[in-house]
Amino acid sequence: MDDLKLSLKQQIIDSLNLQGMKPEDIEDDAPLFGEGLGLDSIDSLELMVLLERNYGIKIEDAREGRKVLNSVQTMADYIKEHSPNG
Amino acid sequence: MKQPLYIKAAVAISPQESFEDSKFLKPIITSNNGKLFAIDAAYQQYISPVAIRRMSRIMKMTISCAMEALKRATVATPDAIITGTGRGGVTDMEHFVKDMIRLEEGAMNPTAFIQSTYNSPNGWIAMQSKCTGYNQTYVHRGSSFELALQDAQMLAAETKNPINILVGCFDELTEDYYHIRRKRGYWKNPAVASDQLYKHPELKGTIAGEGTTFFVLSNQKEGTFCEISNLKIVYRATAEIIANALQELLSEENLRVEDIDIALVGENGDSTQALLYEGVSATLEGVPTLRFKHLCGEFDTASGFATWYAAYLLAEEKSPALRRRNLVLINHYILGSASLIFLKKTSFLEATF
Amino acid sequence: MPEETERIVVSGMGLITALGKGCTAHLAALKLQKSGLRHPKILQTIHAAEFMLGEVQLDDAYMMSFLGIPTEKKGYSRTTLISLYGMADLLDSVDLSWLQKQEKLAFINANTVGGMSTVENLYMEMISDRIDEETDQWIDTVDCAESTEFVARFFGLKPAMATISTACSSSANSIIVGARMLQHGLADVVVAGGGDALSRFTLNGFHSLKNVDREACKPFDQNRNGLNLGEGAGYVLLERESTARARGANILAILSGYSNHNDAYHPTAPSPDGSGAVRTMLGALEHAGLPPESIHYINAHGTATLNNDHAEGLAIQQLWDGNPPAFSSTKPFTGHTLAAAGVVEAILSIVAMNEGMIPPNLNWTTKMEELEVAPSTLPKEQNIDHVMSNSFGFGGNNVSLIFSKA
Repeated sequence: MDDLKLSLKQQIIDSLNLQGMKPEDIEDDAPLFGEGLGLDSIDSLELMVLLERNYGIKIEDAREGRKVLNSVQTMADYIKEHSPNG
Repeated sequence: MKQPLYIKAAVAISPQESFEDSKFLKPIITSNNGKLFAIDAAYQQYISPVAIRRMSRIMKMTISCAMEALKRATVATPDAIITGTGRGGVTDMEHFVKDMIRLEEGAMNPTAFIQSTYNSPNGWIAMQSKCTGYNQTYVHRGSSFELALQDAQMLAAETKNPINILVGCFDELTEDYYHIRRKRGYWKNPAVASDQLYKHPELKGTIAGEGTTFFVLSNQKEGTFCEISNLKIVYRATAEIIANALQELLSEENLRVEDIDIALVGENGDSTQALLYEGVSATLEGVPTLRFKHLCGEFDTASGFATWYAAYLLAEEKSPALRRRNLVLINHYILGSASLIFLKKTSFLEATF
Repeated sequence: MPEETERIVVSGMGLITALGKGCTAHLAALKLQKSGLRHPKILQTIHAAEFMLGEVQLDDAYMMSFLGIPTEKKGYSRTTLISLYGMADLLDSVDLSWLQKQEKLAFINANTVGGMSTVENLYMEMISDRIDEETDQWIDTVDCAESTEFVARFFGLKPAMATISTACSSSANSIIVGARMLQHGLADVVVAGGGDALSRFTLNGFHSLKNVDREACKPFDQNRNGLNLGEGAGYVLLERESTARARGANILAILSGYSNHNDAYHPTAPSPDGSGAVRTMLGALEHAGLPPESIHYINAHGTATLNNDHAEGLAIQQLWDGNPPAFSSTKPFTGHTLAAAGVVEAILSIVAMNEGMIPPNLNWTTKMEELEVAPSTLPKEQNIDHVMSNSFGFGGNNVSLIFSKA
């Protein structure tokens, strides 16, 4: 689980080009959107692309996406539950 | 159209050191491989880290150029933003198309798609400058910048109130772009050094360039040194049509040829296209003539850079002997269009003419 | 309109969409509530079974044949063909030889991705080292101006030209720019509009935004899921009123007012409180010198995306103080025709006004929670003196047009 969250954090940083950030800078439970990282709706779409390309998980619904992408923890939980390989 | 647009600020990001006037052409920057790439500015000064991280180079360049123009004009929020581009966000378009093919229409990155839309830079500039006014984007090849300028002329004429219009253009050069058009014979083959561009009439074609230029234009003369006074857009250019357009322009400006202090022409080193200037060269004999495409390369909105250069030349007057009050810019583009733009200094009184 | 400027009139209209060719076909479809949406048969995409699209139900070969173009002739993108077809429809009621003689003619066109529908299938070949004239020539069709130049040349016209690309509001902007060119004397006759063809580029682009509905879209419905893409082209003939009357033209509508504002909020989403949309609609009313209650029908942008309908719905509710005129989105009929949407929906608005009929907002069952107001869901006879047509594009480009009975 820890490896997954670590990889996720690095992938988030790479995919969203969060220059100068390291995985240590992102807390597991910190909300990704709104305050803090300042991510927006386009970022949430990019994260859905990340989930599909790297973990084979398709989120079709924008509403569902908002819940899954709340934090690194919720993303990791969802991946564990829904990954075709998991 | 004859309608004055007074230049409050003009900024160009180009293959020359144009961003800061003092460095411009000191020295002339050249290239040997047939490509003139623009010199990047410090984009992070103009765009927040949150926004900049997703942006392609042309997006950063365009927004920064626009924001700098507003800064120099001390205009926080313009009344309108009008842009012109021939090819738009090419890098983003290429990225999206190639991903789409590679992933067989699988999960696609929305950022590249959004940024590839032609009016995306205009939208960003509006957000950053909080401009909720008129916004327009023209995408018509070699006339794209001119159409933006013409729209600004219409806006300026539509109101008696002071109006600040941000007008600009942008186009980028990518390796794919260069490669495909090399196959089509656009470029000199073998490539020539940019400072030798006009010395190889035996080779068909020209050299490629890119850049972005922005102007803050007003319908108020006060505090400005220079105006764009007249614009003529030619859609199906021949030497004769361009020559007639020049005569028409002179007549509308109430000028004789002798009154033109500089002619700036868009010859691009291609000998067949140079014929377009035959009609006007006869008219302009004796007028000091400069060319500009060895500085910026050939691209759809090169006339934007040329207009910036024209304003620079008019501002550069150093001595009464080097009289610079009127300048006519004549440009053509590979795909058949042409334009004439007439600029003049506003600081001279009518009486001295 | 300010006193000094002359009124601009619409004296010709032509269009092609998933509903077919011509105003008569479109009016019939609106009355019969017959949508043109279907799973694509012409666009070759891996997503064909997934999405409903407003596909023009004519393949390229058919259109070429109709236009008298030998099918062996290369270089005609679907965007160009659809634009030619739309122009041909305009020319059913406008004399081409008269148009060709106009000395100050302007052609203001619009599209979003140029000839991408062809280029996307050839791109890898183009960037390879292989030189193949037949393939490589297509690169000169990828930009927006290609179809503009082609349409002008094909019909023997030598106009001043412009191509506008502001996403979903593009051809509404064509109408504004054309009208202003008439008022400034830059043109005496204007053909304004736009055209877009479906492409995998566009379909996958919108799909990546996750705002595309798999079923037929439900504008202003609580359970809406997004838009259906479409394709099409539309063109209107615009003139100064004095010129049109002098030649005894059939005046179809007056362009009473228009407004173009930027939302300045987000690259793809409107200001969620609807203030951007209010500003634009109010701007058009002020320009027309008309009070809100004079509008009898609003053809909404109504894409059925979560964001647009929320913002536009709130804006309509707010501007008309909870008591708006009948409003509907016709996008469930045609799909979202992108660059053509502005002009297509302007034409549908004028058709509806002249017929005295409110077009229905199809597929609506449940009112949005945040709204008191709801669209008009059945075709309804009603007098319409003034109609407003909205187009709100990416990059915050918002346009409202107001047409009045001639």
